[in-house]
Amino acid sequence: MNVFRRRLLGSVVACAAVLVAGMAVGTPSPGRAAEAPVARPAPPPELVVALDLGDPALQAGAIRGIDVVVARGFEVDLARVLAKRLGSTRVRLVNVRPAGRRLAAGAVSWHIALAALTRAEVNEAHATSIPYLPAGQAVVPRRGVEPPRSLAVLRTLQLCATRRSAGVATIASVVRPDQRPILAPGNDRLVQLLQTGACDAALVDGVAVGRVVAGRGQLLGRVAVRVDREPGVVVAVAAGSPIALRDIDRVLRHLRASGTLSALARRWLGIDPARLRPLVAVEPTEPPTTLPQ
Amino acid sequence: MTGRNRSGRTLRGALALAIATSLVLVLVGPAEAGSNRVVDVWFQRSGEPVAATRHAPTIMRTVQALLAGPTHAERRRGLRSAIPAGTKLRELSIARRIVTVDLSARFAAGRTDRAPSGRIGQLVRTVRGIPGVRAVRVRIEGGTPIGLFPGYDLRRPVFTAPSASRAPGIRELQQLLVDLGFSSDSGVTGVFDPRTATAVLGFQKWVGLPRDGELGDETISALLRATRPQPARRAGGRRIEVHLGRQLALLVSEHRVLRTVHISTGAAGATPVGSYRVFRKERYSWSVPFQVWLPWASYFTGGIAFHEYPDVPTYPASHGCVRVNGFDATTLYAFASSGTPVDVFYESA
Repeated sequence: MNVFRRRLLGSVVACAAVLVAGMAVGTPSPGRAAEAPVARPAPPPELVVALDLGDPALQAGAIRGIDVVVARGFEVDLARVLAKRLGSTRVRLVNVRPAGRRLAAGAVSWHIALAALTRAEVNEAHATSIPYLPAGQAVVPRRGVEPPRSLAVLRTLQLCATRRSAGVATIASVVRPDQRPILAPGNDRLVQLLQTGACDAALVDGVAVGRVVAGRGQLLGRVAVRVDREPGVVVAVAAGSPIALRDIDRVLRHLRASGTLSALARRWLGIDPARLRPLVAVEPTEPPTTLPQ
Repeated sequence: MTGRNRSGRTLRGALALAIATSLVLVLVGPAEAGSNRVVDVWFQRSGEPVAATRHAPTIMRTVQALLAGPTHAERRRGLRSAIPAGTKLRELSIARRIVTVDLSARFAAGRTDRAPSGRIGQLVRTVRGIPGVRAVRVRIEGGTPIGLFPGYDLRRPVFTAPSASRAPGIRELQQLLVDLGFSSDSGVTGVFDPRTATAVLGFQKWVGLPRDGELGDETISALLRATRPQPARRAGGRRIEVHLGRQLALLVSEHRVLRTVHISTGAAGATPVGSYRVFRKERYSWSVPFQVWLPWASYFTGGIAFHEYPDVPTYPASHGCVRVNGFDATTLYAFASSGTPVDVFYESA
């Protein structure tokens, strides 16, 4: 009986000691109280990522309803890396085609969206991250033409681009060349125009340039520069999402610094467009640091 | 009339039933039902589709034979499959003569954008070859593929097999000759004509192919990988290079060859090597020694000029002048203004 009482007393004392110690550790000191972060929402165990399947290098796959059952591509891999770094244990991919050119507002069924979106394409209701890819046009010179060192040099060249592409818009709004550009119906014809010397340089989407020049290195010049019109491709964070925008920005910065983003780009796109020297400085719009209320 | 309509309807109904029954038999019927059925299963050799025969009683067995790939003997003959090994058939169904083939994710493994016609082409050719099948619907892991096979909208059934490779048409080749500077825009006619033959001759001279003026396989292959001719000499401004070895005149502006012209110079070295300038131009020039009119003449040394001539062979044939073909004579005349430098030389290449 005595032995039992002594053990009981000992247990109670031990518990009390652990409790007191725990409280002491958990109570913030007056000095630390000011630094204590605002309580962050815990990452959801399942991160729901909205995609817009269609580009074989960025994101392609197979869908059942809106669920993506097979997925591959740069943005798919990036979504998985993001989920892991954000602390989610599972990723659910859903195919959500943006209505028109803008990601819809209102109640959405996803936490973040990766769909080659520029800030202009995301509804103001959602937040946007720092860019993870440039949204510019790579300059592909013909063989024998050095990559232009400036926009002024680019302006003097006979330029070409694919009809109805962002390249045409960039030529018209940013480059404003001396000669009328030649428009090609498709990428094959575009490469032919370069190869034959009918044009000096072509403007090709930075994310597609690796595929356009693949296997044709001997026929074309060196791809080294790009022309940007917009700050870049961003992650959209749904309004009301439990994911903190600053966490996404932090992870993207880390992925850029560690070379992970570049490795992913080289794997899926062939060329990392971020490594091409921009001929025009585009003012990055500082993304909001907190989710809009 | 009513009786005839009814009998026609009955006949059509019976026919539809017969087709449906035979398809069901082919799809899921016992091996005995068509054990002697020989089907074509499509593979590739050097990117081109090649059929191999198999004994397969059902559509399911046919697709499985396709997924199994070529036999050892066929592999020795160079047959390959673009479909990754290990691709499984998950499900196969048929409705309204459209066969739905549901494959494992392995079917989409690797770089599907590099040979887009390969996998889909093999599958569609094989299944469409089965009598009664109208189209093929492709599913992967039960889902609709989007963007996995560039150039194919697999949200809908595929009715025809994609072409493996397409030979360039005459219009495309003429456009290439224009792009490379061997012809003018008006040379793109879609018909192989004397102007095209002249441009081809110029191209063949430049790349060192036999000078027959025809678009043979070798010439087409060279055209598809050709780049625009480069001037032999580094000098700015507008000038003309006469390449005596290749029998070509290059119209150069600021280091860029604008046009390459098929010419014939003096036989036995009668056209003198050297650097000259155009000093006289005549729309029609009367040749006193040869008693002949020389149209579009641009003189650059003594009595030697560029001029149009009806006969421009592939070798040096004139008395010293530079014969220019009728399609390019006006272009060269307009380019060679008075004072334009003319370099005549034997190129080292």
